[in-house]
Amino acid sequence: MDFALDEELRMFQKMFRDFAQNEIAPLAETLDREERPPLETLKLAAEQGFLGAPFPEEYGGSEIGTIGYCMMLEELGKVCMSTAMIIEVHSGVAAMCIYLDGTEEQKQTYLEPLALGEKIGSFALTEPGAGSDAAAIQTTGVRDGDDYILNGNKIWIINGDIAETFVVFAKTEPEKGARGITAFIVEKGTPGFTVGRNEKTTGLHGIPVTTLFFDDCRVPAANILGGEEKLNQGFATAMKALDYGRLGVGAVCLGVAQGALEAGVQFACEREQFGGPIALKQAIQNFIADTATEIEALRYLVYHTAWLVDQGQKYTKEASMVKLFGSEVAHRAVNCMLQTHGGYGYIKDYPIERMYRDVRVSRIFEGTNEIQRFIIAADILREKGLKIKP
Amino acid sequence: MDFTFPKEYQLLRRIIREFAQKELAPIARKIDEEEEVPRELIDKAAKLGLLGVPFPQKYGGMGAGEMGYCIVMEELNKVCGSLAAIIGAHIGIGAMAIHLDGSEELKEKYLTPLARGEMIGAFGLTEPGAGSDAASIRTRAERDGDDYILNGSKIYITNGKLCDVVSLLAVTDPSLGARGGVTAFVVEKAFPGFSVGTVEDKMGIRGSDTTELIFENCRVPKENVIGEVGLGFVTFMKTLDIGRLSLGAACLGASDLALEKSVQFSKIRQQFGAPIAHKQSIQFMIADMATEIEALRSLVYRTVWLVDTGQPFSREAAMCKLYGSEVLHRCVDRAVQIHGGMGYMRDYFIELMYRDARITEIFEGTSEIQRIVIASDIFRQVGVRISP
Amino acid sequence: MRIIVPIKQILDPSGMTVNRRAERIFINREEYIINPNDKNALEEALKLKDGQGAEVVAVTMGPERADDALREAMAMGADSAFLLTDEAFEKADISVAVTVLGKAIQKIGDYDLILAGCQAADTGAGQLGPRLAEYLGLPQITEVRELVAAGDDKVRARRNQGQGYAKVEASLPALLTIAQDANEPRYPTGAGIINAYRKWEVTVWGASDLGLEAEDLKPLTEEKRISFPPEREFGTKITGAPEETARELVQYLKAGRII
Repeated sequence: MDFALDEELRMFQKMFRDFAQNEIAPLAETLDREERPPLETLKLAAEQGFLGAPFPEEYGGSEIGTIGYCMMLEELGKVCMSTAMIIEVHSGVAAMCIYLDGTEEQKQTYLEPLALGEKIGSFALTEPGAGSDAAAIQTTGVRDGDDYILNGNKIWIINGDIAETFVVFAKTEPEKGARGITAFIVEKGTPGFTVGRNEKTTGLHGIPVTTLFFDDCRVPAANILGGEEKLNQGFATAMKALDYGRLGVGAVCLGVAQGALEAGVQFACEREQFGGPIALKQAIQNFIADTATEIEALRYLVYHTAWLVDQGQKYTKEASMVKLFGSEVAHRAVNCMLQTHGGYGYIKDYPIERMYRDVRVSRIFEGTNEIQRFIIAADILREKGLKIKP
Repeated sequence: MDFTFPKEYQLLRRIIREFAQKELAPIARKIDEEEEVPRELIDKAAKLGLLGVPFPQKYGGMGAGEMGYCIVMEELNKVCGSLAAIIGAHIGIGAMAIHLDGSEELKEKYLTPLARGEMIGAFGLTEPGAGSDAASIRTRAERDGDDYILNGSKIYITNGKLCDVVSLLAVTDPSLGARGGVTAFVVEKAFPGFSVGTVEDKMGIRGSDTTELIFENCRVPKENVIGEVGLGFVTFMKTLDIGRLSLGAACLGASDLALEKSVQFSKIRQQFGAPIAHKQSIQFMIADMATEIEALRSLVYRTVWLVDTGQPFSREAAMCKLYGSEVLHRCVDRAVQIHGGMGYMRDYFIELMYRDARITEIFEGTSEIQRIVIASDIFRQVGVRISP
Repeated sequence: MRIIVPIKQILDPSGMTVNRRAERIFINREEYIINPNDKNALEEALKLKDGQGAEVVAVTMGPERADDALREAMAMGADSAFLLTDEAFEKADISVAVTVLGKAIQKIGDYDLILAGCQAADTGAGQLGPRLAEYLGLPQITEVRELVAAGDDKVRARRNQGQGYAKVEASLPALLTIAQDANEPRYPTGAGIINAYRKWEVTVWGASDLGLEAEDLKPLTEEKRISFPPEREFGTKITGAPEETARELVQYLKAGRII
């Protein structure tokens, strides 16, 4: 058993940390205030290979392994959850779909620009009537000659506004439910595909959260993710990619929690009440100790799961645990540290205020925590011979 | 990074599990009711090496290090909290004090029989006026020729009745307080003037005795000092530091069993026409338990790695104890809830687990003390010193 | 006295569930153990070692992971261990296993007793002991309930026979298969487990070490299909008040000449 970081990982960690502190952190407040995406830093991150971290070099990736990928997301999450999530969804979910199930040609054509960060990716599944009940999507894909005609709309699509490559899920055989869903690769600018407005959200103001419209949007059959043989098998692709995505969310949350803790510790040392720093008060010490403890527990849950991925082992249950636990730890951490800041925690001058607004959605997106609990319970009960339904 | 257990530890775990299932599980309820772990069982455990897991083989121990010890505590606490408490006090703090700071002669004289289970050990720190505030102990050890004369009493000592020797902390110089005025001793039950007082009647871990020890002019030879005269507090704090990690492992084991029992029960118990496993409330409790357990597992074994590779581990060990005991509490609580009315009946093992669990947030350093250990380590690194 | 104990590493049956309807076996937990009946044989050997002194040698034929079974045997008290492993052994059936084990035992040589389990918990065939005895030209006593004495070129044992038992004596060297109820196998000690992996060696032999060529390793049998035995016929279910059901049950038992 070995928990040491080898030379390479330590190097990566330093590189991620420096980049996050120097380039990403200074922009965080601006993004939040101006409600815009960090295009300038995404470009810098792309140059460093951050946007293709999980992928092999032959597809333009930087091949740093899953543990390295989680470290990157942690460092980014510490300073700016918006930036971290843009990159996570781009590489860990959208591009990941193409990596997992795309044809060789699709990987060359679409994955490479994504890995290099030349284009941003987006994952379009959710609809007004299909959130947790993802199989109930109603966007249709109807065969017409060598093409498919897509009709419908998607909501709350992360990166929608800045992405050029979209993985879009549509019902090609509506009567078959989940087994009638196909994944299509759709590029921005395809006639019939319009990018709608961005939502106004509580936090994560740096992330475009967009509505997408498909009006008789014609997509070649060659753009079925995985080729014609993967017709009606899109749901399985989505589930596989979301597994990896959940691990990424957990890693981002680990970073957010750690960033909150560091802010809280610093504040507690500086702020004086009753004749000394509030760090001398047990109530504050308890907040710090509990937060630090949960973060340590989360950290090794994340790395254990990342290790399972790199070992090629099954990790669905663990990924859900990471997302569930990570989002709840992050929420508690930010909340506790906000309390530590007292009144200042409510003032926009202090990053903790933004973190509080940013972190709330982590218990909701990428599969609500209720869905995560369902997945975990289903896995445990299935091993004991009982099959349950959502 | 590598999360696999080395093969010898995988085999060790399997054998302990078999032993626990075969020898311990059938009598766990009886142990609780009769408030005693049969001596034959302790002897069988000793034969396997369970009474000296982390200690070197040259002292009669198993030579299995901190990892072996945590695995043993994990597997035993799954099945019987009382035996785990006995072994935890015996190895984790009682014998551990001698292992950490005892002279070679002291180790040969006491550690070897303790590791072999020929003697049972205990850790004598707590007094009526000194619980979390351990530095304010009053038991006095006065020098008299080649001996020390002990006067005072200790309370809430696990294995107080069962033990043959106790690692004890007493005041040798009242003017110096905890820094330089307190010394650790190995005191044999056989020494005249050492008697056993009240045996407490407890909520849980009833198979282990929690006892008052009384010292009236008890003569202890100077050779029985553990470490340096006056530096006993340091020895005892070091001992508690490492003792707490194995408690985290013990909590992990019991939490695992609470989950297993809950899953099993939810499959069988039918309400509203189907097993309750089909209800989201139940599923969600199971999912939360499983998640916390996984997080605790990695935290514990990573801290074990810190110990076994000679790295600092105080903060992490305190986290394991704090988090482990709180996870256990939540797990047994949810498990009782899942069992419904049956969770309250003594026919069901979960009832026993619920009572056994509560003490883990209190003994060997309350959760509040653990938080101080953690917070002071964090603040020390940014230059702020805090104290209880 | 040298005692050789052939052991077999099997998948732990408690980690498997069986679905009759789907005719499938699911492995929920992939864990390997020493065949429990082989542990009885090992325990008998260790008892002789404790009682009168003996050298206990554990031997297994299997893939590389079978090394773990040998470590456990050493942790229990075996003095040395031999792993017979080779790609060429992979398709082995019982006849090949006997050839391989037999050759290895001959190479180890100078033995007084071979103690084996009666049957493996995975196949339940029970062929190894008798076939091995034939291969080595040894007298065999199977289903030994109690190993009474061994020494002075003789072994005396009590074996299960029909509803009772028989007392049998054989000259050494001999092969005995030990019944499941002969003893309670000891636990390996923790120190033994630690040392088995860290200090002690397992000797590894392949086909060439045993002088075995491809023709020697051709199986005599080929596994064509595994299927479940047919469902048992349902008996009759008797329900009702206790007095009536008791009366009805007595009728059935009388009709079946059971009482």
